[in-house]
Amino acid sequence: MTVDTTKRVERHDGPDAAESPPGEGMSPDLQAHIGRQVRAMFDEVAEEPIPDHLLRLLQDLDRGGEK
Amino acid sequence: MAQIGSLRAFAVSLCGDRERADDLVQETLCKAWKHLDSFKEGTNLKAWLFTILRNTFFSERRKRKREVEDADGNLAARLSSLPEQHGHMDMKDFQEALSKLPDDQREALILVGAAGFSYEEAAEISGCAVGTIKSRVNRARNRLAESLELGEEDEAPSAMTKTA
Repeated sequence: MTVDTTKRVERHDGPDAAESPPGEGMSPDLQAHIGRQVRAMFDEVAEEPIPDHLLRLLQDLDRGGEK
Repeated sequence: MAQIGSLRAFAVSLCGDRERADDLVQETLCKAWKHLDSFKEGTNLKAWLFTILRNTFFSERRKRKREVEDADGNLAARLSSLPEQHGHMDMKDFQEALSKLPDDQREALILVGAAGFSYEEAAEISGCAVGTIKSRVNRARNRLAESLELGEEDEAPSAMTKTA
C-alpha cells in the first residue's frame, strides 16, 4: 500500500521538465533565502564532531578491510 | 573521512532522528566496505556513499511502512525536537516545513541545495531522470515557500529607502 504523492503528473524524461528553470515563478530573494536555510540546517549537522563509535568503526574497517 | 559529516547530515535530513541517522551511517559504511570491489576507482566516492545510504533508508522505510502507519506528523514531531543550538525561530519553522515535504522532494532539495551535488549527480543517486530531480527541487522550494508563508510581500520594504 503505497501512498501516492505523485498525483500531479510526474514527468520523467519530458523535455518540459528539463526546460523549466529552477525555482520557476519564485523571486530570487525567496529562492536564496530557502537555499540558505537548507544549507544552514545541513551544515549544522555536517560540522558536528563525528561520534566515537563511528570513528572506531572506521578504524576497524580500515584494519580489517585491507585487501 | 570528510564525507562522514555530510553523510550524517543527509541521514538526519532523511529520517529526522540523530540516533537512527547514525545507525544508517554505520550500516552504509559497513555495506560500502563489503562491496568495495563494486566501486569504480576514479568515480565519485561521495555520491556512491550517498546512494548506499539513501537506498538503505528507503528500503527500510518501505518495510516499516507496512508495519506501522508512519504518518508525516511523526517525522515532523521528531525533527522539531532536534536540539536547537541557535534558537532561531526561523530555523525551527523551516525544519518543520522541511520535514513535511514528501520524501522524494526533501531528498532532492538536500542533495542539490545543501550537499553540493549537481542535478545529474542527484539523479544518479536517486535513480531517476535529471528532469525529475529538477521538478522535485522546484516543487520542494515552492512548497516550502508556501508553508512558510513567505510571499512576494517580503521584498516590498526595500522600496521605502528614499530618505536614506
